[in-house]
Amino acid sequence: MKYLVLLIGDGAEKPWPEQSESEQEAAMAKFGAFDAACAARDGVELLAGEALSGPQDATVMRTTSGQVQLTDGPYAEVIEAMGGFYLLEAPDLDVVVDLLRLLPPYDIQIHPTVDVTP
Amino acid sequence: MREEWGRLVALLLAQFRRLDLVEDALGDAVEAASRTWPTDGVPTNPAGWLMTAAKRRVVDRLRTEAVAARKQPLLLTDAERHQEGARTMADGGSLLEDDVLRLVLMCAHPALAPESATALSLRLVLGVPTADIARLFLVPEPTMAARITRAKKRIVGAGIPFAVPDASALPDRLDTVAQTAYLAFTAGYSPGTGPDLLRAELSGEAIRLVRVVLSLRPDEPSLVALLALMLLQHSRRDARVSDGRLVLLADQDRTRWHHDEVAEAVRLLAAPRLAGPVTPLAAAYALQGRIAAEHATAASAADTRWDRIIGLYDLLLQVSPAPSARLARAVAVAEHLGPAAGLDALEGVEIPDSHRPASVRAQLLARAGDADAARAAYDQAIAACRNDVERAFLLSRRDELDG
Repeated sequence: MKYLVLLIGDGAEKPWPEQSESEQEAAMAKFGAFDAACAARDGVELLAGEALSGPQDATVMRTTSGQVQLTDGPYAEVIEAMGGFYLLEAPDLDVVVDLLRLLPPYDIQIHPTVDVTP
Repeated sequence: MREEWGRLVALLLAQFRRLDLVEDALGDAVEAASRTWPTDGVPTNPAGWLMTAAKRRVVDRLRTEAVAARKQPLLLTDAERHQEGARTMADGGSLLEDDVLRLVLMCAHPALAPESATALSLRLVLGVPTADIARLFLVPEPTMAARITRAKKRIVGAGIPFAVPDASALPDRLDTVAQTAYLAFTAGYSPGTGPDLLRAELSGEAIRLVRVVLSLRPDEPSLVALLALMLLQHSRRDARVSDGRLVLLADQDRTRWHHDEVAEAVRLLAAPRLAGPVTPLAAAYALQGRIAAEHATAASAADTRWDRIIGLYDLLLQVSPAPSARLARAVAVAEHLGPAAGLDALEGVEIPDSHRPASVRAQLLARAGDADAARAAYDQAIAACRNDVERAFLLSRRDELDG
């Protein structure tokens, strides 16, 4: 299955700008360990993964009766703190959760993708 | 047949990985058996017969789908990764037992809502009819059927595996299985109305679920302790209701308790495995079991060793500081040292949305001779109580104050 993993909040992790240099290094090492563990795991492939810029740079696009409206900011407060995402192929939810334990203790939403090609 | 249900579901899932088809196919096979066996005679291997009939149904459905060329997500198995060979129907054997354990762990997965996991476990592992599960949880049958269908869809959609996790993750997962079973058990003892006042025989299904898992993972501390706790509570089922009313522990006819179950529970609690380091959940179940055993082995209510029970509650509060345990400890303190000490122990105990702290305070105030304060506490409890049977009980207690 393909999973979209959204790092939606800092959770138990101190916000990035408040971290000391050595804390930031330790967090980066966890991302490195996650990449390595995904590469080593049977049936797992990291398809994409990016860090996101801050909510102030996000734009929401809505279309009402053909009219496109753009609004400044993220879609909702719940995703205001979203810091990054991964798209990965993995055999099942347990494998995904097992690998994500390696990351800093963020709040994470795990969402399977569906194949919509006919 | 009910004993075989979980094994057959597990085997069919291992082979076809289609949770959406397997249960219906097995249901159809059982229905066919109920039609043909009475005239044709029961086959020499009934489980094998059902398996063959159910397999045929699944294959038919798969063929229909292939024609319709519809894509369906598959239920995942770890066996898939290891390129499974041809599986055959076998009686016993570790392969088969692993399949049942996979089924149990899939149904009681932490990514499912607890009530869904409980309903699904009863349905798929034990074959309990949906109507009975609905009765157990006091909801209409269509509601329960929809809940089970949603849970099955979520298993496929979220990618919850039909697999046994690593040894390091297994104890936590078995704790979830224990919580799932205990939720089914306690549902049967939450008072309903009329003939459904208690659904104790359905609570017995939760005991059966734990026995199934213990047959696969003997000595698992949380399950051993939970089985003991449930047996002790269940042993009182026949004495708990009289003329459609709840009978309190102190007033129960102890000759109607199932003493064989008490003896089994006491044996389980003495298991050496429970003396070693265990998970907090296993420790909490074991301590609650020892408290229940104190009640179960007292010759009469007056012979209850309240001093020992208070000590056990003190330990329990260290492991799991729940307000319900503090409330129960206050009751024990009142029995041992009198209502004034009990009221002191009750100080500050609050349980959101529960009438119980007010109800206990009312009873202790009444015993202490403060009828006015007791009446006020009963009023508070009655206002918070959501259950008809319990409210009637509280009203009668309050009215006795005036008499």
